[in-house]
Amino acid sequence: MQSKLSDIELIEQTLAGNQSAYADLVKRHQRFVFTLAMRFAKGREDAEEIAQDCFIKAYRSLASFQGQSKFTTWLYSIVYTTAMTSLRKKRIATDSIDDEDTYIQVENKPSGYDTDNVENKSRSFYLNQAIEQLLPDDATIITLFYKGEQSLEEIAQALGMEANTVKVKLFRARQRLKEKLERNLKQEVKELI
Amino acid sequence: MNTMEEKIWNYIDGTCTPAEQEAIARLIEQDEVYARKYQELLALNLEFATMELEEPPMAFTYNVMEAIRTENASQPLKAAIDKRIILGISIFFVFTILALLVFTLANVHISGANLGAVDIKLPANVKMPSTNTFLSSPFFKWFLIFDLVLALFLTDSYLRKKNAEKHV
Repeated sequence: MQSKLSDIELIEQTLAGNQSAYADLVKRHQRFVFTLAMRFAKGREDAEEIAQDCFIKAYRSLASFQGQSKFTTWLYSIVYTTAMTSLRKKRIATDSIDDEDTYIQVENKPSGYDTDNVENKSRSFYLNQAIEQLLPDDATIITLFYKGEQSLEEIAQALGMEANTVKVKLFRARQRLKEKLERNLKQEVKELI
Repeated sequence: MNTMEEKIWNYIDGTCTPAEQEAIARLIEQDEVYARKYQELLALNLEFATMELEEPPMAFTYNVMEAIRTENASQPLKAAIDKRIILGISIFFVFTILALLVFTLANVHISGANLGAVDIKLPANVKMPSTNTFLSSPFFKWFLIFDLVLALFLTDSYLRKKNAEKHV
């Protein structure tokens, strides 16, 4: 059962020495942080490592959180920085992050899903599959916009970009996602025929 | 210049000015191409919002809190070591300065009847303590033992720190 307290209240309790309050914060945001980490990582294990690292970093610098922005915006900025650092460390082509041709996309199949069973495949499965095929930056912006309850300004703050840049990137990311979604669905239809 | 698709996305997101919003709304109402594109992007927008979040492993929160607990447990020890090192270095410097001061004062000859006519004479040859006597003195031996203990203490704290970092 998760706490009904707000993020700020949980932070205050954590700073006062109540560690279980921080556990509640982790529980509350772990799915989203893990999802963001999955957008960058090679697999679930790497994503878990990144997500865990993010929460530890956030705990260490919790006292420096001023409360001027949403806690989630602050947390996602840590996720983005940590994930980018991890990518660089693992020498995945981050220097050419905008060059789709050189990006090595490694499959991150959703756990517990039987990919061979075509009948079980829903629109949401194809959507997740298409997101996985996007560049990490595109997938992150799309995820933050649709699932992170973040405005363009907040996304810009989390990613350390200008709001206008995020707007343009979001537009392009949507176009790419749409193309990939259509391509995957067409391929599936062909296979069925 | 914005493309039709870009304009419609801005309209859906509500990121354009009220005047632009009104203009695009009129275009959607009057232009069939705009209307079709709007319906398509609206459906796409709804679909994107259905994206599923990934589920982390069951023990995720536990693992995070364990890592934090390990880090917290090693912190007081680290703080204590730091203070002791600083205190040790301070004591060493204070003793060195005091020893030098005593040695200098012992070698300086001060003469004179009143404060106005004090005559300070530095000795022509300062008698330094013999090195051989110093090296074989019990003080030097204790100094070496102290250094050895300090080195072991610092190595131990360094290895503990490394070990804690590894667990985090």
